[in-house]
Amino acid sequence: MFAAEDTKSQDLLIQNLENILNKIKQNKTPFVNENFQHFLNTKNGYLVSSLVTEFLQFFDLGCTMAVFQPETGTLHGSDRGNLAHVLGIVENENTRVGPLLLEVMKRCQNFSSRGDGSSDSSLPVLHNLVTELPLLEAKISLSNKAILRYSRQLVLPELGVKGQLNLSKSSVLIVGCGGLGCPLAQYLAAAGIGRLGLLDYDVVEMNNLHRQVLHGENRQGIPKSLSAATTLKQLNSEVEYICYNMTLTSKIALELIQQYDIIADCSDNVPTRYLVNDACVLTGKPLVSASALRMEGQLTIYNYQGNPCYRCLFPVPPPAETVTNCADGGVLGVVPGIMGCLQALEVQKIASGIGTSFGQFILMFDALEGRFRNIRLRAKNQNCAVCGANPTIGVLQDYEAFCGSSASDKCRTVHLLSKEERISAQEYKKILDEKVPHLLVDVRPPVEVDICHLPDSIYIPLDKLEKKNLDCLNHLKRKLLEGRLKTGEEMSFPVYVICKLGNDSQKAVKILQDLSGKELGALLAKDIAGGLMAWSNKVDPTFPQY
Amino acid sequence: MSCEVLVLYFAKSAELADVRSERICVAQQTTSQQLWQEIVSRHPRLAALRDHVILAVCQEYVSIGDQLLLLQPGDEVAIIPPISGG
Repeated sequence: MFAAEDTKSQDLLIQNLENILNKIKQNKTPFVNENFQHFLNTKNGYLVSSLVTEFLQFFDLGCTMAVFQPETGTLHGSDRGNLAHVLGIVENENTRVGPLLLEVMKRCQNFSSRGDGSSDSSLPVLHNLVTELPLLEAKISLSNKAILRYSRQLVLPELGVKGQLNLSKSSVLIVGCGGLGCPLAQYLAAAGIGRLGLLDYDVVEMNNLHRQVLHGENRQGIPKSLSAATTLKQLNSEVEYICYNMTLTSKIALELIQQYDIIADCSDNVPTRYLVNDACVLTGKPLVSASALRMEGQLTIYNYQGNPCYRCLFPVPPPAETVTNCADGGVLGVVPGIMGCLQALEVQKIASGIGTSFGQFILMFDALEGRFRNIRLRAKNQNCAVCGANPTIGVLQDYEAFCGSSASDKCRTVHLLSKEERISAQEYKKILDEKVPHLLVDVRPPVEVDICHLPDSIYIPLDKLEKKNLDCLNHLKRKLLEGRLKTGEEMSFPVYVICKLGNDSQKAVKILQDLSGKELGALLAKDIAGGLMAWSNKVDPTFPQY
Repeated sequence: MSCEVLVLYFAKSAELADVRSERICVAQQTTSQQLWQEIVSRHPRLAALRDHVILAVCQEYVSIGDQLLLLQPGDEVAIIPPISGG
């Protein structure tokens, strides 16, 4: 019976294919049209076609691929692990029994349905363009509903009805809906701010959730601005939320920023910080700026009532290699939480009319020591390029070029080695399988080695290698000697270097190449491109990602 | 006359100096440039941060240059590079 059904399916398939082939032959409607080609060349197009490919391959229907593969050349054999990673799907035994398309569908269902099963028709609207917003109307008095809702802060003499009305007619743009933006937006929404602009170019990922508290497990892959607004709407539906799913660029910054009363910099990278600063100076907006990394936080209000701007303090951006991002440096989730709350406090004070205390101060939070320090800052710099007496910056610049880094906190990819000096994770797997004698050197910091590592690797953190730490070099020398004894050959001994993503490993190879032939004897150092994350994606899906 | 001050290193400067705070002996009357030089001579890797830090003495900004300082024993000197994470 099964055989009969199989034959039936095959017949059906062949019939379909014949139909398609006939259509192609008749050339009435070209199968691969320009729209299709164009779509495939976009990121979304690539994802969609990869999902279809994976779907077909999952059910062993790969043969049907022949229909649309030859013309396009862009449909690669799908790499499920990689695709799942890009889509933010964390695979487990439940997901592996079906195609990834099913997981994508489940995620949409989770997102659009509420606990009671009904769909939420009042979902916030996502903007991909900057549009002009209608003016926020000033209210003359508070409604009974508002009086009840805000009663606990209304009775504060510092705020009062006047302050509350001021809040309700204020608009705040939050640049970045991450670790700082989430708590900031949450308290502003709770306090009854009039309008909240929520800007972020990124989607929610699992590794965001420890600090970006407005998002959730079922929001993975969803734009952060939309996810934040969805949560906030449940907290306070009276507030107007405008979601911008985009990168803040020089092209749109002025048009966007001039529509808001107060700007909050909750971004995660240097170019955006200069861009937001300059745009605030050019439009005359107060900038409530905070940042956090590891166990430290900083807060300042720039460009407010004659006080300095970011450039007054830092006229020149730091060299890109001296900037640490959250992925590399780590961040304790509550630290940006605290800084975001402080931002919310200062925004509320400015919006309500109380005024801020941080115009010419920087607040430093040392979470390890549990100390706050207020450092008095310089006055406005008369020579400042953007806010000084004779400014040279009248229009927004190319901030990525100015800072020598990209406007995101994604890890930079360095290119120090040639193709011949690198091997792929799959090639290294082959070396392991074939038991080729070699030494594997893991150059990550010990704290990362503790998270996960490959067996039989030796650990020499890059910073120790850079400093030519004697203990480390001796350890390496000993291991090389052991290796050479085993092979008994005089050849250059192969050394493979690995790190998390394949950046530090390149730096380490450069150092090892310098040492080769000298104190370490002849060695042939190569690095594993893509590092342990490539190992997890391409070779061993059970290896953790972090 | 020299005196002992407490130097606090924040963010990247703590990483480059490999220390979060230390007491150092410096001339009581000095310029902010000399004070910075004294600190850099102990931790040469800090030189890269020269134009990218806030130098503060007793929780007050000082510009690294000719500014004259009259330090007291126990004064707090802070090296503050901006952080940009969020």
